[in-house]
Amino acid sequence: MIRNLFKAFRLATSDYLHEWQMSVCFILGLAAVLGPLLVLFGLKFGLVGAMLDQLIEDAGNREIRPVGSGHYDHAWLESVRAQPEVAFLVPRTRSIAATIELASEQSSRIVPVELIASASGDPLLAPDAPLPEGLTRVVVSSRTAEKLGVKPGDVLDGSLARRYRSQQERVHLDLTVAAIAPEQAFSRDGAFVSVQLLEALEDFRDGRAVPALGWRGMQADAERSYPGFRLYARSIQDVAGLRDAFADVGVEVHTRAAEIELVQRMDRNLSVIYWVIAVIGMVGVSLSLGASLWANVDRKRKQLSVLRLVGFRTRDIVWFPMVQALYTAVLGWALAVAIYYVTAWVINIMMATQVEAGQQICRLLEIHYVVALALTCGAAVIAAALAGMRSARIEPAEGLREL
Amino acid sequence: MADRSVVIRSTRSSWSNCPDAGHILNDVSIETAAAGSRHSAIYLLHDVVKNREAKGVAFRLRVPSLRIDRGEKIALIGESGSGKSTLLDMLAFILQPSAAGAFRFRPEEAADSLDLDACWQDDNLNLLGDMRKRHIGYVMQTGGLLPYLSVYDNINLSRSVLGLRRDGTVEHLAEMLGIANQLKKRPDALSTGERQRVAIGRALAHRPAIVVADEPTASLDPFAAQNVMSLFLGLADEFNSTVILASHAWHHIKELGLRRLSHRTTHTSGSKLTETVVSG
Repeated sequence: MIRNLFKAFRLATSDYLHEWQMSVCFILGLAAVLGPLLVLFGLKFGLVGAMLDQLIEDAGNREIRPVGSGHYDHAWLESVRAQPEVAFLVPRTRSIAATIELASEQSSRIVPVELIASASGDPLLAPDAPLPEGLTRVVVSSRTAEKLGVKPGDVLDGSLARRYRSQQERVHLDLTVAAIAPEQAFSRDGAFVSVQLLEALEDFRDGRAVPALGWRGMQADAERSYPGFRLYARSIQDVAGLRDAFADVGVEVHTRAAEIELVQRMDRNLSVIYWVIAVIGMVGVSLSLGASLWANVDRKRKQLSVLRLVGFRTRDIVWFPMVQALYTAVLGWALAVAIYYVTAWVINIMMATQVEAGQQICRLLEIHYVVALALTCGAAVIAAALAGMRSARIEPAEGLREL
Repeated sequence: MADRSVVIRSTRSSWSNCPDAGHILNDVSIETAAAGSRHSAIYLLHDVVKNREAKGVAFRLRVPSLRIDRGEKIALIGESGSGKSTLLDMLAFILQPSAAGAFRFRPEEAADSLDLDACWQDDNLNLLGDMRKRHIGYVMQTGGLLPYLSVYDNINLSRSVLGLRRDGTVEHLAEMLGIANQLKKRPDALSTGERQRVAIGRALAHRPAIVVADEPTASLDPFAAQNVMSLFLGLADEFNSTVILASHAWHHIKELGLRRLSHRTTHTSGSKLTETVVSG
């Protein structure tokens, strides 16, 4: 049995090579349909994928900020933080109080910077980098670091002023640069600081005492509330839900839910369009491949009859066109992939200026190639097996008389 | 010619039902009274009919009784359309009879006989294929060579299917057939006569018990035809094969001493039926 299968395999290969012009035509015919289909899917996957990647990678797209000022106490903020859709939440103080002037020994400049409340898990900061901590350690924006000429470990002089009891007061405090924030985290002059430091600076400006820093003033309020917060959803899919939840409790928030929804809708619409084209394309590939293989088997009925005459069994005869169909499928697929590669390369070069560095408009994953190969081989084998079985069932005499 | 009345010692029912192993009939013997001796029949046909119809014209081949003994050389002589190829195809198990009282085959003297009709009825094409593979060599009118194989591989095809080792048979046949220097060529590089010699080589290479040849020299000029036919029959003798061939050329066949099967063809204009009755 194995001997005859091997024999049929060898004969099918010899015939395929002998009729190389016909074989090339079959391969080209398959690649001509499959290649553009791969390009189409590559575009759909690359284009929408790039947009989705951008949405996912940019933490700003998951950010939720309240519009205007409110009064949010610790308990309320804790209840929001406990929601499973919330990845990170930090309260902020009044914007006007969240500034400081920084100076360094490395630069003669005094740089007024915005202060951003931060804490562990802040999506804007590198996950493995040192965090702002307590009243002395800060993470400065890259622009500020450049202006002040500082690097991690350097000490800054922070200063702020207030008018207290009709007198102008200015205080200084040493701040250690724990890290430099990534450029995309904050593009202006700024520093990420702990909530504790922000509260201290706000207290000083409001005329309250900050005993930890030796700043005098009035007694601080027992219960503190915050005018706003900075919140990040766990994923872009959670943004719309959180927005609606805040709206339900009367908190109007600013999100990028509309942009996210637009891309998601575009993905859905493009997917529908793609799948319609893909299904039509696959049916086309299957019919084209099936028809050519069927016709080929019919054409070879005479030769298959000779094999029947010399004693090849039914399954050996079926194996013959199946081997040839597999050759066509694999080589056609390989040529289609080559067509895809060249086309995708041209498209990506042409569109390189339209997308961010490293992003590709036309791309496929390895699994896509595997699925395309499996579908092509499956369609080819089914068509060839049906044609082969039909041929194998015909009386050998019928085919031989045509020789 | 000796009296060849056939006695079938069995009833129809004893071999009509044919499960896999049941194709082999060991309770039936075939005898013939030929000059008082007992000969071994390789084929035994009784009331075999093949009906064909194309474009409103019907053809019927009827074989009331036919027996072919081992080692015989039989010729079917007749004009085109008289059913020669139809009978050859049935004898080579590549065409199913429309009806058969008995259609039995005993390839080797020591072997049991096989009920071919039952094999066809059971659609046991693989068993028929196995029988062809082992016992039949077939020379087609147009060669029927595989264009993608070399001459050597074409001749060796019948041997390789059986898994026979290289033993010089192919080279010997090629030498005898005068195509020894063509073994590496493809069929399309050969003349018609050379291709026919390759076809004869393929039919004999596995040393079959029976060689069926359908007008093997029809496409050759008379001189080449005589030459190829002599070679063919000489090799068949050397390989101890029974030969059944169809031909137009009776004069030449007669000279070679083949037994001719008698046939009678009648045309019925009213029913548009052509019927050939073959017996022997």
